[in-house]
Amino acid sequence: MINLQKTAATALGVAALSLLVAACGSSNSTTTGTTTSSSATISGAGSTFAAPVYEQWGASGSPSGVTVNYQAVGSGAGITALEGKTVDFGASDPPLKSEEETALGKVGEPVQIPMFLGAITVSYNLPGVKSGLKLDGTTIADIYLGNIKTWNDPAIAALNPGVTLPSTPITVVHRSDSSGTSAGFTGFLAAVDPEWLKKVGPGSKEPAWPTGTGAKGNAGVAGAVEQTTGSIGYVEQAYALQHNFTYASVKNKAGNFVAPTLASTSAAAEGIEVPANLGFKIKNPSSPQAYPITSQTFVMVYKDMCKAGVPGGKTAAEAVVKFLNYGLGAGQSILAKADYAVLPAAILAKSKEAVGGLECEGSPLS
Amino acid sequence: MEAASAPTGGERSLLERSPLARLPDRALKYGLTALAALILVLIVYFFVRLFGEARPAFAAAGIFNFVFDNNWDPSAGQFGALPLLIGTLITSALALVMGVPIAVATAVYLTELCPRRLLAPLTVLVELLAAVPSVVYGLWGIFFLAPKLQPAEQWVADRLSFIPFIGGGIVTIPNCFIAGLILAIMILPIVSAIAREVMSTVPSDHKEAALGLGATRWEMIRIAIIPYCRPGIVGGAMLGLGRAIGETIAVTIVIGDSPTLAHHLFGQGYTLAAVLANEFGEATGLHRSALFACALVLFVLTLLVNAIARLFVLRAARGRSRGGASEGPADLGIAAAVGA
Amino acid sequence: MSEDRLARFAVSPRRRRADRLARGVLLAATLVALVPLVLIVYYLLVKGLGAWSWNFFTTDPTGSTFFGGSSIGGIKSAILGTLEMVALASAIAIPIGVGVALWLVEYGQPAWFANTVRFFVDVLTGVPSIVFGLFIYIALIIGTGSTYAGYKGSLALSLLMLPVVIRSAEVILQLVPGALRESALALGAPRWKVIFRVVLPTALTGMLTGILLAVARAAGETAPLLFTAGHTNQTSLNLGSFMNSLPYQIYNDVTSPTTEVVNRAWGAALTLVAMILILNLIARLVARRSRLA
Repeated sequence: MINLQKTAATALGVAALSLLVAACGSSNSTTTGTTTSSSATISGAGSTFAAPVYEQWGASGSPSGVTVNYQAVGSGAGITALEGKTVDFGASDPPLKSEEETALGKVGEPVQIPMFLGAITVSYNLPGVKSGLKLDGTTIADIYLGNIKTWNDPAIAALNPGVTLPSTPITVVHRSDSSGTSAGFTGFLAAVDPEWLKKVGPGSKEPAWPTGTGAKGNAGVAGAVEQTTGSIGYVEQAYALQHNFTYASVKNKAGNFVAPTLASTSAAAEGIEVPANLGFKIKNPSSPQAYPITSQTFVMVYKDMCKAGVPGGKTAAEAVVKFLNYGLGAGQSILAKADYAVLPAAILAKSKEAVGGLECEGSPLS
Repeated sequence: MEAASAPTGGERSLLERSPLARLPDRALKYGLTALAALILVLIVYFFVRLFGEARPAFAAAGIFNFVFDNNWDPSAGQFGALPLLIGTLITSALALVMGVPIAVATAVYLTELCPRRLLAPLTVLVELLAAVPSVVYGLWGIFFLAPKLQPAEQWVADRLSFIPFIGGGIVTIPNCFIAGLILAIMILPIVSAIAREVMSTVPSDHKEAALGLGATRWEMIRIAIIPYCRPGIVGGAMLGLGRAIGETIAVTIVIGDSPTLAHHLFGQGYTLAAVLANEFGEATGLHRSALFACALVLFVLTLLVNAIARLFVLRAARGRSRGGASEGPADLGIAAAVGA
Repeated sequence: MSEDRLARFAVSPRRRRADRLARGVLLAATLVALVPLVLIVYYLLVKGLGAWSWNFFTTDPTGSTFFGGSSIGGIKSAILGTLEMVALASAIAIPIGVGVALWLVEYGQPAWFANTVRFFVDVLTGVPSIVFGLFIYIALIIGTGSTYAGYKGSLALSLLMLPVVIRSAEVILQLVPGALRESALALGAPRWKVIFRVVLPTALTGMLTGILLAVARAAGETAPLLFTAGHTNQTSLNLGSFMNSLPYQIYNDVTSPTTEVVNRAWGAALTLVAMILILNLIARLVARRSRLA
């Protein structure tokens, strides 16, 4: 019997050892920057909002020809990772702040490339009330401030003549984790409602919510809204569309009540002023067809990736350019399938131009 | 003193071992000591590094203010961690109060009262609780447990509205109580496992002495087993508490993450660990330091509780070594066996 | 002896009732402890079993959600990644942990040194799992110019396991009767033999429980891996590169808007629980056989 114990222990030990040897010794296609027969691999980190698209574009077998190892750690952590040269590209929803630009600038000149748009729906769970309840910014702000407490409040009824509103109390749901979605939502509220701006402050990733329940992640808010009758929550468009949520039509700056469709999301970036570094932010857009609560997302890279020293080296630099060209070109057709909205043609052209300007040790990559 | 293994010859005494034979002993002693020293260095480096990251946050408001200010508002640059600290204390206390007694009771049942055939399967089942990943606990909690328990919680809150903190508030689906309950379930396997191992080492003469003196099964457990196992049980409870204090993902999902002082048991709260998980991805600068500072507050908290627990165990052990009452059954048993 | 004198030794009805009540309470408590387990396992089975298939275990996740119906892939890379990372983490944490516990119990001199070690290990038990990941992140990734790697995730996991292994091993080792050690020494065994042939085997089953719990914890934690191991969809045998893992895959997938991907997450969760159960059973079987020797 002692022999059995020894044999078992030896067997386990040998197995573990061989696994470790195989692990340390083998070389394979997942090391960043190496090229296999079919595709090169690059690494990226950042925005959770944009993750499904980048994963799709970088899936194995994708027409892009590039495989992406993407970590959805959050926009802030993505920029930090890029700064630390931990990944080949970063992804962020908000454009770079000046401190971030300076910090990245120490490593290499940063380039922000707008990729696509997504809307933030105001979803609710009210049996008997279909999608399209009309709400304006002030009313939504009042709900989230706790001023409006029931669904049949006169403010809501005034916007929706002919709709029978129940007297159910409103359960407010918001994100508990830091998120660009919260920033987009509260940015809108701050832009349209002075009371919100005063009480809570400008748009923020983790605002001091005056009322409501916190749920973790987009899926958490969605789940909470699904579970609780009479609840209201802000849910990313892709999620709301794929799960057939009922959501509100929000009043935009031009005075129209617009539903969050892909077309109205794209319209939100029409005619927007884009700064030289392409770091624009959508805030209460002016286009008449625009859905007002829309967010943009960027890919951040270094202008000269090889000089900056990204982990994948020259191979990765070339692959990043290939990936971005695909994403801004043929990959745009994926966006509609994934329920994200395309950029207006003018901005898309600027993005392509920016990708064209990327270089490696001074020589252009495309 | 080392005894002889074989006569070695030469000038040495028969009982002395050769220096070569003593080498493995020396090697082991120094090796293990070096290992312990290495671990100590690593852990100290760990804390020093984290303290370095946390220092700006302490410097900004002062340590006392950071810990005891009731205002956690990152967007306004305010970092007072009191609501987080209170939330951690409440959920951990709930986890201990609910989890440890059940864990110990389970351990007692499995070691003393369980039919032989059921022992192995039941043991495996209890330990299976540890196999569930924490994210699954969180999701199960928020999607299954919390909604199911809400009516009961509302009933309790209404009936007991005269008790502050427990009653008289609105019950939200994610709340402190659910978080405490989930934590209690999560610490159950480890506390129970250690308690069980400790109980299985109780010398049978302790138990037989008590039984021989006419104690019932329960009295034997109460007299012979529990006092003997107390240090071990406390050790297990401390490990469970550590888990409860530091559990991140499961808690963030079920506690509602509201950085206001938890007004009542069935309302939302926040913990130091949860805030780290929620906000680190997007935090920069002072906010990031503040999150590391929260981790440090957690360390101090764990340290304090562990120190108190060790003191308690030490005192009990000292009482026993002086020949206190808990020595009784064994002595009496021997006396009974010999004299009667 | 006469009947009356014997009667003095009978158990009073009050005590008998207390005994029965206590037994009932203990049984009830055990059942209460099992209720959440049954509920969770049922929940997992209902949500996750549907995702299980041969493809599920043998294909990597593709990263896509709609390049044609069923091509979201399986979880092969996650399973292998977890196995590798947890194996490495255990290989680091178990010997070191048991070694430190041994030192604390067998030697522990000078006392101030031993108490300092205990002190720090105690504090380590309460550190949130994410902090271990962050520590590795700031020590080994940011600023050193290197990137995510599977072995860095393992290091974070081993830090997570270390205090549990040390503490539980210490508790068990302290319970080994001094008489056992003394008799071995009296028979002429050198210290090292006493430790490896007497103390450790006696404590083995007890320590195994604590070790298995630490391994189970390491296998199920996402937070330490978020900032250390990187994420990839392909199977990687190289611990020096990005590595997938079951908890990460679950965490990622469960928040997806696509229903199939969410189902994959639950299938992965069920897989993880099953894997740990199997490990538990194997380890116990080996330990039991050795005890019968």
